[in-house]
Formats: sequence, structure tokens, C-alpha cells
Amino acid sequence: MKRRDVMAAIAAGGIAVTAGLYRFTDLFVKHYAPTPYDDLLARLTDREQAAKLGAQLPGSFDIASQSARLRDTFRKQDLAAAANADIAAGHMVEVGGWVLPETVALLSVLAAKV
Amino acid sequence: MTAFIDARTIPDGQVLTPDLAIVGGGPAGVSLALALKDSKLSIALLESGGTSFDPEIQKMYTGAETGVRYEALEVGRMRALGGGTNHWGGWCRPMDAIDFEAKPWMPHSGWPFGRAALEPYYARAQALVEAGPWIYDQKGDVMAGATGPVLPLGEGGLYTSWFQFSKTRDSVLPTQFGHRYGDELRAAKNVTPYVHANVTGIRLAANGASVDHLDIATLTGKHFTVRPRMTVLAAGAMENARVMLASNDVVSAGVGNQNDLVGRFFADNPTPRDVATLVSFAGPLAAFYGSNQTLDDGAIMRATFAPTMAFRRKAQVAGSLSTVEQPVDLDEIGKAAVITTALALGVNAANAQAYSLGCGMELAPDPDRRLTLTGEKDALGLPRLKLDMRLADEDFDRFRRTLTELGRQLLASRTGLLRINCRDRQDWMKTMDWGHHHLGTTRMHEDPKQGVVNPDGLVHGIANLYVAGSGTFPSYSASNPTLNLVALTLRLADHLKKVMA
Repeated sequence: MKRRDVMAAIAAGGIAVTAGLYRFTDLFVKHYAPTPYDDLLARLTDREQAAKLGAQLPGSFDIASQSARLRDTFRKQDLAAAANADIAAGHMVEVGGWVLPETVALLSVLAAKV
Repeated sequence: MTAFIDARTIPDGQVLTPDLAIVGGGPAGVSLALALKDSKLSIALLESGGTSFDPEIQKMYTGAETGVRYEALEVGRMRALGGGTNHWGGWCRPMDAIDFEAKPWMPHSGWPFGRAALEPYYARAQALVEAGPWIYDQKGDVMAGATGPVLPLGEGGLYTSWFQFSKTRDSVLPTQFGHRYGDELRAAKNVTPYVHANVTGIRLAANGASVDHLDIATLTGKHFTVRPRMTVLAAGAMENARVMLASNDVVSAGVGNQNDLVGRFFADNPTPRDVATLVSFAGPLAAFYGSNQTLDDGAIMRATFAPTMAFRRKAQVAGSLSTVEQPVDLDEIGKAAVITTALALGVNAANAQAYSLGCGMELAPDPDRRLTLTGEKDALGLPRLKLDMRLADEDFDRFRRTLTELGRQLLASRTGLLRINCRDRQDWMKTMDWGHHHLGTTRMHEDPKQGVVNPDGLVHGIANLYVAGSGTFPSYSASNPTLNLVALTLRLADHLKKVMA
């Protein structure tokens, strides 16, 4: 076997291993099982941190109605605009004591619940 | 220059007959004596302590307490010439105009006059407390020598306001009125300052309508009499109430207490620590947020977050002054909150810095937060006090609404984030401290059924007895009282000049 072929095989193997690690482990990026709310959760740049925060909200959380509400919000604007609209309107929610725009809080709780 | 007269050297039974007796040599008493030192009035300034702290004399202040945990009654006061200024922190800030207003959401609030009545006196009061040039109203970014920019808060309910500080000498203590003005008092030809002179009774004329004389006693067993034309009680909110209640030989309820108001409406400024965590997305705040800064013009200042008058009205909150305490580390949840929120807003928070916030709060007036006399007596036979201290949940709720608005504003200006660290009464009480600002026991009101003194400080129903100091504040503000009580006392001095001329 030529040396060039050996090198190519090693490189291909490396790429395959890296791709496998990327896809099937959380080594490079966190993977989540598909949920019915992925369209919403995709708005979060760091879903893991959001989930950590959202887990601080005690009590029940009606996923169906809150996700519908969030979808309605995002039909009109993106996350930044929605957060700014909450702030301007005084729609604030406390999560673990942190005073957050309602949309950010709801998304975070959703990330924690699913 | 005359020396202070040690009352222990005055012969038993002597009768002194000054035009004016000032009872108490704290900031109110000293300010009043200084303001009248060039008048034609002969003045006896009667200080119960000496010229320096004496633990035996201080014991006269001990008393009992019930209700909410509070400082021991002898802790927040000092029975020596200079009074509370012997151990104050030097924090100064004028009261806001809304502090004087009757607020429908806060029963019993409101002064009988507005801030305009004190405006002519603030400059002189500022000079007496030696707080330097008046910069309370200035914008932070135009102050020469300021160490950095003001944190933008955007439109909303709070703004960056300023404390100023009484001049610190050698970085040790602010102006102590006894030490600072002792020479001026002794040099004044018409002022005779007495030390170790304890007023043990206000003796009314038989008809109860005027003060006939004051009983004075010393811890060495001397007794003498002061028979002035006018008397001003300036011994602090606790001691004024005590001697008025204890002087019950003519009016059984006590002097000025015909409507059961003396001792009621006691207040202080709660100063809970670490009430919130403020995150600055851009990194460290200007140094004047967390510590005192000296400006080029000599003013010593520190930033505080204060609610606007419009917000106080709209949100029905009380006065509060939230101040940065120290940098703190965020826990994992805090980091998650910063990352999630900053990413959502598209803000770079890579250098975010967190700080703890403390606060000075205004309490709503409460007639049941009160001082009464006990059966126990001090070394001179004066009944000791008992304080029934109360804090309403609504006092905390009001401040919580203010903190929520601060959090909203930080987000609106994309400058930061806030966590409120106290959820319930237990949380608030965990880090509770007190300003040692004794307020309200001889409150001011035009109506004798609602106040002990009238808007001039004259005790209702008694022709020649006034009260000076923060005990007359009918509602309280979050601003530290010393500057304000000195201004109010200077106003009283002008009044006395007129009525005693």
C-alpha cells in the first residue's frame, strides 16, 4: 500500500471519528432529543444555560399554552425584539430572583421542562 | 472664652433664669445655639453627658424592647456633647420634595409644609455638617474629578443620585459637633454650655399651658432649677419623648401627651444588606458606586439609586436609596442568567461584574411603633423606655417593587441585570441592619389630635415649649436625617428670633 493511501485512510478515519463524536456525543456540542418545541428552543443560543436558569422557577408550567404563546410572539418578532418589548411594557418575571423579560423567562423554563 | 460649666459644680437649689434653655447638645441643640449666638437672648445649653463618652453616663439610655429585633436603645445614641455626631457615618442627602407630601397610599404621611420651607436653610446646614459644595443635584458625568461614567439606566423609575459626606478628618471620623463647635459655643457671649446637666422633669405651670421650670440633676446628687422663658427639647427622638412622658405631675398623661401621641410613630431607616445582586454587563462600575470619592472641588460623594418622584407616585412606593456594597462572584445560576439574557438581547457580557446592593429604606408611619415608659428607673429616677418595634410586610413589598423597576431599567438600557435576594420577611430580616436614625416620636402636625408639635415645632397646648430634631418628622424619607434636621433647626432658630424678640 502506498504511503499516500495510508495517509488518506488515516485522515478519512479521523474525519469519521470526529463527525461521530460531534453527532453522537456532547463533546463538541450539546445534543438534545427532538421535542415538539424545537422551533422555539432554537431561539436560544445556549439552551443548556437557559435550562439551568429556567429550572429555578418553582411551580407548574403549562407547556402547551406557554409554547403557543411563545409561537405567537415569535410570529411577529425575534427573541431580542420580544425581550425588548417585554422590558418596555414592564412584563418582567422573576426566576430565581433574577428580574427577566417574560419571553426570556418562558423560553428558559421551557428549556428546563422538556 | 468661657469654659463649659460642669453642672456638678453648681450649688444645690440654684435657679438659673436664661431666656432660652436648649435641652441636649447634639446636632440640633448645637446648631440652634450657634444660630442664636449673636442674638440678644441668653441661652443655657444643657447637655446631659460630658465632653467625651462615658459608659456610666451612657447606661442612662438603656431600655427594653419588644417586637421586631432592633438595636439596643443605648446603641444608636451617644450621651455626650455632640450627641449622635460622635459616632455618625457622615452620610448626607437632602429630603426629596415628595418626602414632604401627603401620600394617599401611605397613611399619616406628609409634612405641614413643603421642601421649599427648608430650602433657605439647606446651604447653612450643609456648611454646619461640613459636607462641602452642594452637588446633590448635579449630573455625574459633569463632575470634575469623578472617577468614571454613571451607569446608564434609561427611562424609568430610578436614577443615580448622590450622597455627600461630612468632612472626614484624617480618614477617621466626620464632623463631630461637640469637638468641632465647642470653641464657638464657649466663645459665644450669650451661650452658656453646661455638661453633666440632666433634665429630669419639665414642670408645667398649674394650668398646664406653659413650662414653669426644668428640674436638673447630676449623677453626683446635685439638683438645681432652670426657669427659662422658652425651652427647646433637642435631646433626640427617644429622650425627648421620655422626659415628656415622665413629666406627668400636672398633666397625668405627660407633657404634650393629651392626645396620646408622644412616643408614637417611632421610626428608623432599615438598612438591609445584600438585598440584591446587580450585574454590570460592561464590567466594573465607576469607583463612586462602591466607595466615597473626593471630587476636585472637595466634595466627597457616593452614588445611590433613588426612585423618581413620578415612579413613587405611580408605583406607590416609599423612599429608598440603594447603594453598591462590594463586588461579588456569581453562582452557576447567576452565570446562566447573565449568559441567557445577554445572548437574548445581543449584548456582550464577557466582562460582566456583579455587585451586592444594600439599601436605606423609608418606613411608613405607624402609630403602634412606639416608645412607652417602663417601671424601671435610671440612676436619676427617670423611668426607662420600652420600644415596640414593628415592620410591616408592605414596607418590604414597596421596596421590592422599586428593585424590580431597577432591574427592568438595567435591561432597558442594556447595561445589566438584577437579582432580588430577599423573597419573604425572613430573608429581609436575615441581613437587617439599622440606620440608627431615630424619628417621629413628637411628630409635627397642624392638628393637635394628629401631632405633638405644630409646624413651628411648638408643643400643642404649651406656650413656651418647642421640640427640635428628627423626632418631629411626621414622615421620614430614606435620606439620612442629620442634614435635614439641622436645616429644620435653623428654621426654628429664625422663628425663635421673631417670637422672642
